[in-house]
Amino acid sequence: MTAELSSLTAESIQKELLGFLGERIKTDVEPDQDLFSSGLVSSMFAMQLVVHLEEAYDIAIVGPDLKFDNFRTVETMTSLVLRLRDASGPADDA
Amino acid sequence: MPEQLADEHAFVGELVGDRPDAWDRSGELPADLLHKLGARGLLCAEVPASYGGLGASSRDNGEFTAYVGSLCSSLRSIMTSQGIVAHTIQRFGDRSQRRQFLAELTSGKLAGVGFSEPAAGSDLSAMQTRIQPEGDTFVVNGEKKWLTGSRYADFLLILGLGGDGAAAALIPTDTPGLHIDLVADPMGCRAAGHANVRLDDVRIPAANVLGGGGQSLPMLFTTALSYGRMSIAWGCVGIIRACLNAAAAHAKSREQGGVLLSEHQLVRRHLAELLIAEQSSTRVCEHASQAWDSASPDMAVQAVLAKHVSAGHAARSAATAVQLLGSAGAQDGHVVARAYRDAKLMELIEGSNEICQLILAEHALSISG
Repeated sequence: MTAELSSLTAESIQKELLGFLGERIKTDVEPDQDLFSSGLVSSMFAMQLVVHLEEAYDIAIVGPDLKFDNFRTVETMTSLVLRLRDASGPADDA
Repeated sequence: MPEQLADEHAFVGELVGDRPDAWDRSGELPADLLHKLGARGLLCAEVPASYGGLGASSRDNGEFTAYVGSLCSSLRSIMTSQGIVAHTIQRFGDRSQRRQFLAELTSGKLAGVGFSEPAAGSDLSAMQTRIQPEGDTFVVNGEKKWLTGSRYADFLLILGLGGDGAAAALIPTDTPGLHIDLVADPMGCRAAGHANVRLDDVRIPAANVLGGGGQSLPMLFTTALSYGRMSIAWGCVGIIRACLNAAAAHAKSREQGGVLLSEHQLVRRHLAELLIAEQSSTRVCEHASQAWDSASPDMAVQAVLAKHVSAGHAARSAATAVQLLGSAGAQDGHVVARAYRDAKLMELIEGSNEICQLILAEHALSISG
């Protein structure tokens, strides 16, 4: 899943995330669908999303970026991944 | 199996010695021992080396937690609280908060954490505590129940609502308006320094609110509790090991009816059940730690599973051990008497049996086709 990190685009991230969600929650979702208010996922699953994004895209999501709004839809998660990928390169935990 | 913290077992074992019995009866841990372990990074051993910690894996810290848990669940509870606070800072703190506070938590400062309220346990929506911005400070008001380690703590991590979401505030225990009332005669983990806490217009610098606030309450809770569940799960493995050791030693040395207890078949069944409990709990904890160490997306659910399985085994194993030891173990302070009271509390905290079952049932539904 972590292949081709260098060629990540909003489109490829969205596609992968929709696939991940479809597999995990057994429901097809739309890129702009609010996952939490629609009751599709729980707070336990929010943690799964955080861990999945960190692993799949080699990013560290910490501190202020852990706001719920960043995980609300596939689109907001995609923007988060792109922003963190663009920021300063290596994660600052190193 | 190489184990990063193996050398520390002897260090802690020597420091602790046979004192847990007396700590249980007096209801207090020696503060200098806590500061000594804290300064060595052992109370939150998973803090990365870049922040001054030992950088232990979940698995290695788990085995270490089990070892401490086999000696004294009050001391292990202090590790659980310290670890929860460190883990929450690591996830939700900004860069300078992580640098400052994690360095403090690995150099001797002690921390407790406040979730539950008089009217809000598992029901997060009933939470009343408020953490409100005011100029360049925050003001905290509310009440929290059963904060482990408060008696010894330099900081309390308080979760509450504020702004457009939730926040976690690190509050030094000498801040005006923070009132700490020790819980009198707790049933278990008697020396863990539990307290009820009231916050009346407690003013703290904005730098003490993790990530500036505006977090998701469920996400904050799940993050903090997940670490706590791992720590308790491994701590319960320790309780079970202590019970197994005490029961087997007793069975091998005590005679009844002209033969050793260990020759009685019904006693042997107890020993078999203790071994089964120890092995099953160890395996489920190892599995959960592997999920943590490989950053598996189901790490939070695995933590619930490990906690629930181990706490149940610990409570039953402690009852079995008391049964087998009879009067030899039926006195406060004795390792199995402590286990009996301590283990029961493990079925209540960080998600009761029933809450764990609800989470696991939801997971079962979500993974079925």
